[in-house]
Amino acid sequence: MTTRYRLTRRALLAGTAAGVGLGLARPGIAQPAALRGTTLTYWGGLIFSDAANKLLVDTINRWGQANGVRTDVVMINQNETVQKVSAAVASNTMPDAFDLNLDLLIVLARQNLFAPVDDLYEKIGRAQGGWLPAIDGATTTARGPEGRAGVPFGASGNMLLRRDDVLAKAGFANPPTTWQELVTQAAAVNKPPLFGLGLALSNVGDGNVQVSALQSFGGRIADDTGRTVAIKSEATREYLRWVKDAWDRKIFPPGVSTWDGAGDNNSYLAGQSAFIANTGSVGIAAKTQDPELFAGTKYSSLPGGPKGVVSPLTIQYRAIPKASKNVAGARELIEHLSQPAFMNAYFENAIYGPVLADQPKLKAFDGSSAILSGLLDLARRGTAPGAPDVYNVAYADAWNNFVIPKMVQRVVIDNWDFDRAMDDAQRSTQAIYDKYR
Amino acid sequence: MANTTPPAVARALIPPAWRTPLFAWALVLPALALLVGLVAYPFLYAIYVSFTNRVIGNDGVWVGLANYAYLAQNTAFNSAIWNTVVLVTVTGVLKFVIGLGLALLVHQHFRFRGVFRSFLMLPWAMPAFVCFLTWRVLYQPIGGGINLVLTQTGIYPEIIDWLGQRSTAMPAVIAASTWRGFPFWFVSFLAGLQAIPKELYESARIDGANAWQRFRHVTLPGLKQVIIVVTLLSSIWTANAFEHVWLLTQGGPSDATMVFPVLAYYGMQTQRIGEAAAVSVAMLPVLLILVFLATSMMQKREDEQ
Repeated sequence: MTTRYRLTRRALLAGTAAGVGLGLARPGIAQPAALRGTTLTYWGGLIFSDAANKLLVDTINRWGQANGVRTDVVMINQNETVQKVSAAVASNTMPDAFDLNLDLLIVLARQNLFAPVDDLYEKIGRAQGGWLPAIDGATTTARGPEGRAGVPFGASGNMLLRRDDVLAKAGFANPPTTWQELVTQAAAVNKPPLFGLGLALSNVGDGNVQVSALQSFGGRIADDTGRTVAIKSEATREYLRWVKDAWDRKIFPPGVSTWDGAGDNNSYLAGQSAFIANTGSVGIAAKTQDPELFAGTKYSSLPGGPKGVVSPLTIQYRAIPKASKNVAGARELIEHLSQPAFMNAYFENAIYGPVLADQPKLKAFDGSSAILSGLLDLARRGTAPGAPDVYNVAYADAWNNFVIPKMVQRVVIDNWDFDRAMDDAQRSTQAIYDKYR
Repeated sequence: MANTTPPAVARALIPPAWRTPLFAWALVLPALALLVGLVAYPFLYAIYVSFTNRVIGNDGVWVGLANYAYLAQNTAFNSAIWNTVVLVTVTGVLKFVIGLGLALLVHQHFRFRGVFRSFLMLPWAMPAFVCFLTWRVLYQPIGGGINLVLTQTGIYPEIIDWLGQRSTAMPAVIAASTWRGFPFWFVSFLAGLQAIPKELYESARIDGANAWQRFRHVTLPGLKQVIIVVTLLSSIWTANAFEHVWLLTQGGPSDATMVFPVLAYYGMQTQRIGEAAAVSVAMLPVLLILVFLATSMMQKREDEQ
């Protein structure tokens, strides 16, 4: 059965890639002859799904064959994108187009390194019902001096994964809607080696879910000018009180303060956490590694605080460097990759939510996949990156310096009082913001 | 036999007094070019970059000491200074004691000595990332080997979060670093011991020296140069090492294990190359002193030999 399923899926993927690639050769979609004989290098973002990676590579290569373009697709580990791009910028060896996230896009766009794609962005948007509001807002915020710097292709972010099999037995049929409720539910099922709350408090991307929690309590990184840090506040104090209370109740699994990027994944897969905040990759892993866990897992949006739910979107882009030797080809390719047939197949295998208003109608989001349903919900209801803070380069720098997880560590690891921890975070974050004045 | 005489034209153009120095320079030049290109230029360029606000895609402008001023007020930077000193000093002492002890042991004659020596080299031969990931697994609070042993044997009944507490994180990093690094000390000391003439021990024995006195007055003086050089080299490597802290704790919890290379990496992650260069350059003075001492000692040793 398994073999047949795999073969069918592969065949389906291959068929989709072939269909999408050959679609361009149809007489109705004439391709510029100027592309013929050119070369195009594409750096794709390598994700955990081999099927999605293969689909992207195959589709680009088939597009190249159909249009007489020599394509060279290199899949880059997303953890190494910054280093690869840094080296490529310095040595003037940038690809013709590449995948990157909003954090890197905003930094590079500020350096005016990208060919503007406003017309392409609007064309793709018009063809598919427009861009989802949070996606449009973030893309406009990240524009370079000459216009929008990238075309979004996928949205992700943290969802709350919960052990429904355990929680239901404890009488919790519904997901927690507030952070306080989360602690209550987590404490109720906290029976080591199953711990209640697998939220990372370490210096890794997962630790930054604490920023969302802080913001939903009304705390802010900076004021509305995006220049003056505003961490020290009564709202932050309330947030710290919440996290300290959870810590003292011993519902965090040991090790959360030094978890690496896979810490929450491993903890959940090992049956050591009843709740985690994750993009959904854990769910995909559980599907193959632990079907029982997969069946017992449910997804919901992050809980809210006194100021509502803050659930930031992480957006993936395709961008064309100004140094590209084949800007025309790159534009054609990006438009091609936005086609519903390809994106449907890609969404089914990757863990990205939609970015365009028509994409929720794709088969991938028909509700048969709990993870994709969660991502669809996230794309619709998720908040713009940084919101309610101003998402600027200083915010991105503070985010990457893990100022909030570190503030929490000062409280729960070093036993600093709230004022001291807030003062330290306020001072160090203001120093970060001052660099961009 | 190869003809080393310069061609007739060269002989005519180059005055005789210049020929030998020019020939010598011609031989040295390729090595010099490599040294300048691969060592001096990147080194000096890193110093220059540390005085700029360079980010990815923008060479930036000269900002003087701004990057250093930013670092000086950074809690993580201040932690990195202290942690680096602690890490280098404590691992140095531990590696010295373990390395010397094992070298003295293996210097004796017993069966399977060769096998035992090879076995002791394993941590050094193992790729660093495998070694430290293994240690990370051993330190896991739940299911980790160390906690399993402690709880199963009843030595300590509760789970210890080795990497997640300030009190145990640095000792855990030190233990892993020591395990990985002691074979270098061991093998260096063993080589040093084998170079000490046996006659010295025999003379000491005839003079009535006991084991401790022979160690104190023959072995230690005989190993003095090796100890100095190994200590300095190992200190430089430990201060520069990245993988042990990164793979175990990423500098946490709460900067308890933050060291310079990890801090520089965080600078790179935020695309601020100038700042990352400043972190690296900030540790240069100490490393330069160590390098200078190490090379001086090695030179002195060569001269003595």
